[in-house]
This record gives sequence, C-alpha cells and structure tokens, in this order.
Amino acid sequence: MNIPRKLSTAALSLILSLVVIVMAACGNSSPGGKVTLRYTLWIGADTPQIDLLKKMAQEYNTLHPTVNVTFDSIPFADYQSTVTLQLAGKNPPDAGWIVERTAPSWEKTGVLTDLGPTLHGDSAYNFGDFSTSALGLWTNGQTVYGIPFSNSPFIVMYNADLFKKAGTDTPDQLIAQGKWTWENLALAAKKIKDATGTYGFQNFDGALYTSNFWGTLVPVMRAYGGDAWSDTYQCGFTSAGSVAALQLIHDMIFKDKSAVPPGTQADFYSGGAGMMLGQLSRVNKLSSSHFTWSIAPLPSGPAGYHPVVGQAAMVVFKNSPHQAEALDFIKFLTTQQNVGRLAQYFPPARASVLGSDTLAKANPLVPSALMQSTVIDPIKNGKVLPAHPNLPAIELTLTPLLDKLWTPNADVPGVAASLCAGIDPLLKA
Amino acid sequence: MRSPAQRLTLRQKDALTGVLFITPQTLGFLLFVLGPVLAIVVFSFQSRNLLAQTADPAGLANYQTLLQHDALFPVVLRNSLIFTATLVPLNIVLALLLATLLTQPLRGMTFFRTLYFAPVLTSAVAWAIVWGFLLQGDQGINGFLAVLHIHGPNWLREPGWAMASVVVTRVLKTVGLNIVILMAAMQNLPRELDEAASVDGASRWQVFLRVRMPQLAPTLLVVVVLTVIGSFQVFDHILLLTNGGPANATTVLIYYIWFEAFRAFNIGYASALAVVLFVIILALTVIQWTIRRRFAYNER
Repeated sequence: MNIPRKLSTAALSLILSLVVIVMAACGNSSPGGKVTLRYTLWIGADTPQIDLLKKMAQEYNTLHPTVNVTFDSIPFADYQSTVTLQLAGKNPPDAGWIVERTAPSWEKTGVLTDLGPTLHGDSAYNFGDFSTSALGLWTNGQTVYGIPFSNSPFIVMYNADLFKKAGTDTPDQLIAQGKWTWENLALAAKKIKDATGTYGFQNFDGALYTSNFWGTLVPVMRAYGGDAWSDTYQCGFTSAGSVAALQLIHDMIFKDKSAVPPGTQADFYSGGAGMMLGQLSRVNKLSSSHFTWSIAPLPSGPAGYHPVVGQAAMVVFKNSPHQAEALDFIKFLTTQQNVGRLAQYFPPARASVLGSDTLAKANPLVPSALMQSTVIDPIKNGKVLPAHPNLPAIELTLTPLLDKLWTPNADVPGVAASLCAGIDPLLKA
Repeated sequence: MRSPAQRLTLRQKDALTGVLFITPQTLGFLLFVLGPVLAIVVFSFQSRNLLAQTADPAGLANYQTLLQHDALFPVVLRNSLIFTATLVPLNIVLALLLATLLTQPLRGMTFFRTLYFAPVLTSAVAWAIVWGFLLQGDQGINGFLAVLHIHGPNWLREPGWAMASVVVTRVLKTVGLNIVILMAAMQNLPRELDEAASVDGASRWQVFLRVRMPQLAPTLLVVVVLTVIGSFQVFDHILLLTNGGPANATTVLIYYIWFEAFRAFNIGYASALAVVLFVIILALTVIQWTIRRRFAYNER
C-alpha cells in the first residue's frame, strides 16, 4: 500500500474542493480595473428589444471602454423574488427594471438608490422633460427612485380575419361609429365564438387564471367606474362599477362562453382568440402571424373612456458596488435620443419624444395614426395600474379569492366582498 | 530528515488519510446542509423580511401565528395529508401490482419495464407541461371524452378534481422507481417457499399474501418511507400544474413555505412552517421505522 500517494490524493481532492469554493465566492472580480455591470430585466434573451439594448450597451462601451454590461433575463413571474434573493444574498444586480405595482414596496424597503442628486443637476439630461404624471410612482419630492422607460397603455389586439368570418364590425369600425364599448366587445366576442368556434376574447397575456394577474381586470373595472383600490388605498372591488365589470367578464367566460375560460390554453398569437388585451411591446410577436391583425385602444364603458397604463422603470440597486457606473449607464439609456430609439417597443415618458413624430413613427408595424390613438393619446390621459407597499401580501391574499370568481356558479358580489374583506387590512397597514 | 508524513505510524497515516478523504464531503455537509438547517431553526424565531432585509427577534410569535391565527395553515395541512394519504397507497399498490406483473417470465416484459420507468427519467417540467395540456377544460383528454359524448370536468380548475389530477399525474411520474425497487426484491425471493406452499395446497393469492409479502415487508417499508417523504416534499409538480389553486385546493406545505418565503418574503414565518414540516416528516419516519422493526422479521 502506498500511503504517501493515498495521502497526496486525499490532500489534492481537499485542495481542489477549497479552490472550487473560493472561485465560486470570487466570481464577480473584474481584472484590470474594468467594470462589468449586471442589468436585470424580464424580456427573453432572443427578443428584438434586448438586441436593441445590447446595441446601446456596445455604444456605451465605445464611449466608456472600462464598462461592460451584461443583461440578465429573468422570467417576469419570478423577477421580484429572484432579484430580492440576489439582494439578500449580497449578489445584487447593478441596475435593472422594476414594474409599477411593485414600486412602492421596493421604495419602502430602501434598496433603491436615489438618482435625484445626479439627474436634477444635469441640464443636458433635462430631467424636467419627463412628464410629472409618469414620475408619480417613482419620485418623492426631490428623491428619484427610478426612471420610467416604458409608459405603455393597455390596448386591444385583434384578429381581423375572425371578425370578418363572424360578419361583425371590427373594433376600428366600432370606433368610427362611436360604439367601441366593453358591452359591444363582449357582443363581438360572442359572435366570433358562435360563428367560428374560436374564443372571442382573451385576458392580458392569458395570465388571469395562471398567475391571477388581477391587473388585467383594472381596464374593465375603471370603464365601469370601479377600480381595484383607490389612490388613498380604499378597496374598490365592491363598488357597483367593479361588480358590474366583474359580472361582464364572468358572463363572457361562463354564459356566452366567448372568453377563454380557466383551465384552457389558448394562444392569441397563433389564432386561438379573436381579441386579447396587450401592450405595444407584444405587437412585434404578431409580425409573423398568419392572420390579418390590428390594434385598438381600450373600449369605453358606462363611466366613460379610461385608458390604463402599465409602467416600468430603470433603477440602480443600492447594494451595487458600481453605483456611479450603473447610474451613468441608465442615464445613457434614457437620454432623449435613446428614449426615441426605445420608443418602438416602450412608449416613453419624455414629453419631447411623446410630442414629436419620433414615437408616431417608432414602430414600423403600427401606422402613425393608430399609434396616436392607441398609445400616444392614452399616455396623456391614462392612469397607471394600482400599486401598494404591501403588494406581495395583497397578491397572496387576492390569488385564492379570485379563484372563486372563476367558477360557473360564482356569486360575483359575494366574491367581490370577500376580496375587499381579505385585502382591506393589508391596504390600510 | 524525515517529512512529517514519514514520522507518523501506519495507523495514524490511515486515520489521517481517512480524515482528509471525508473532509470535502463533511465541509460541504456543514456548509450547505447543516448550516442552512440550523439557520432555519434560528430564523423561525425571528420576524425576518427578505425584501426589507430586516431581522428582529420574534420569540414564539411565528409559531403562535401558525397555530392560532393563520386560517390557511389548517387548510394547507389538510391538503398535505390528503395528498399523502391518497398518493402513497395508490403508488404502493400500483407499484406492487406492476412489479408482480413485470417479473413474470413473459415475452416483451423489457418493453413494459422501460415504459413504466421512462416517466421517472422525464423532466418534471416537461411532464407537468404535457399533463397541463392534456387536462385542459375543453381540450386534451376532455376533447377525446367529448367525442364519446362524455362531459369531462375542468380537471385543474375544480378543487376536488384538481387534487385528484395532481395525485394521479404524480403517481404516474414516480411509480416507476418503486416498481424497480420492488422488482429487484421480488427477483431475489427464493422460489422454493412458493413451490412448498403450492404443494401444501395454497392458492396463488395465498402464496402472494402469506409467503411472498412477509418476505417483501422490509423492502416495502423502505418504499413506503421514501414515498411518504417524497409526497410531503412535492413542489414543482404543484407549482407547474395548479399554482396551488384553485382557491388553495392544492396548496401543500412545501408550496406554502415557498410562497411565504419567496412571494410574500416572510422568511421568519416560512422557516417556522419548514420546522413544522420537518417535525411531521421526522415523526412519520420514526413511526414507520418502529413498524418496520415489528413486522419485518428478518431485519435487525
């Protein structure tokens, strides 16, 4: 038996193990004074949006050769928890996106860097160009927690071929007649289902049942005079308008059988539904579709026309070791020129871009006039989705309660009352 | 001049070699298993919010909430027990039946063995996605049933059916492993005892129940222990098929722990739930090992 050889083998395996552990712990070091920023976002790695961002990052690298940027795509459903874990695990991203409804909770916990001192003092950047309404969720006095880069109204995307087959007016024809209402959307959906067998309507990204994205109910609730909750955090599900809106959606699913029901996987993009709620960033998915499509603004309701806007902002995380570089990079991404370039996917919050031809002509798939009515006008008049500092707990409560709405015999006013009973204490906490 | 290694006795060298060999594994266990387990126990006595990155002492508050104030906890516990109480017997009976059939000296058995074991090797995500497609409200299996003029339920969206669907699809995914373990045990059973019982006039059922089953008892108990532990740890399957819904009908303990920790960011409360789960699994395992000592006559 060769003892020294056995010993050396064992020692080698121990050393290798330690080396692996040490290397794993030191993975973020940047040789030669170079900085690599990690930027988190929720769009897929093979999308045109990320291609554009990578191109901008290359341009930034040309201007600042010591700074490289890597984009870390995290699925939207896991985004907040993944980034939170990275922050808690002392492996924070340097910069990234956050979505509007989670903004108050991020801000409350103090993990976002105040961008105000840098942005306010830079006249060339012209922070005053960002519309005040768009900054509402992201500022507190002079404190700036994020720069909204996407100010995207909800739209109705529709399959014109299915409307034609059903012999019913398309949303643009209904708009011309002044009849583009939720009630007529429901009628059109029923005609499509009855005539073609294809569902007439699908909620936002088909995400209402799978992840209970309650935000997809907000457009119809606001059109009927309700809301999920008010600006002063009063629960709104039990208002007459909200109950009427929830009843309309419930009837579409279970009475008319015209809306994609829970438990069914339909894909609007491959012709599985006549209409779907979406946003401008979804439109490029239709570029290779096999049917004629178009987009329309949200329908109006008994309470009038209420555009709903979803927002996302770029932020710098406070624990990032590269604060200055991260801040400078998101400033670069949100200059007037680059906001104009991003506008084809992400409707801007800069008034100068919003008021110019840049946005109207930004997306080659959407004609200027349509861009005006579906995106530019709603941005000016729209209201952002509700948000709250306690959102994680509120969503935890809403999820099972909303499930009770998606059954054929649901008592809609009763479920609405249970929604408010469940989230009221959290809204007021 | 002798090196330190040369000064050691043979016995000391052997001991040192052994220690060096187990050191990486021990370090890994301490760092990545024992450390986190102890941390969870400590966290369970804290009010710890992951998002806010705060940690304050909370005493027994998390356990009090769990036992007295959390209306969801009894529902989740009941769901976990229903899941285990239906999955384990179904899995074991099916595994026993199929293992008996697959050990018969018939043609084509290799094909069927592969067929039943294939789901074990299939990715859990792919398995759940395919079943999610098959168990749609008006397509998949229900589309087939509609051809036969049968109106199938909305499998994953009706509370009772959702739990049943999750259990059955989980059994189909995991039964192959138990089949293999039981087949291995069956193939090692001496045939002489079966033949002696048959000569004495025992029927095939009596041979199975009175002769083969007692010999299989030790293996069967291991399979039961593993299946029970596995059933309490099911997570990916539920996340992908039902998201714990509808209306928490399929929210089991592990899913609830994940939701509290990584959706609501209440690490303290999630840790208390994890400790409770640990105690439940430990208690069930001790009970099963006690039974094993009593019934498995040839085990020490």
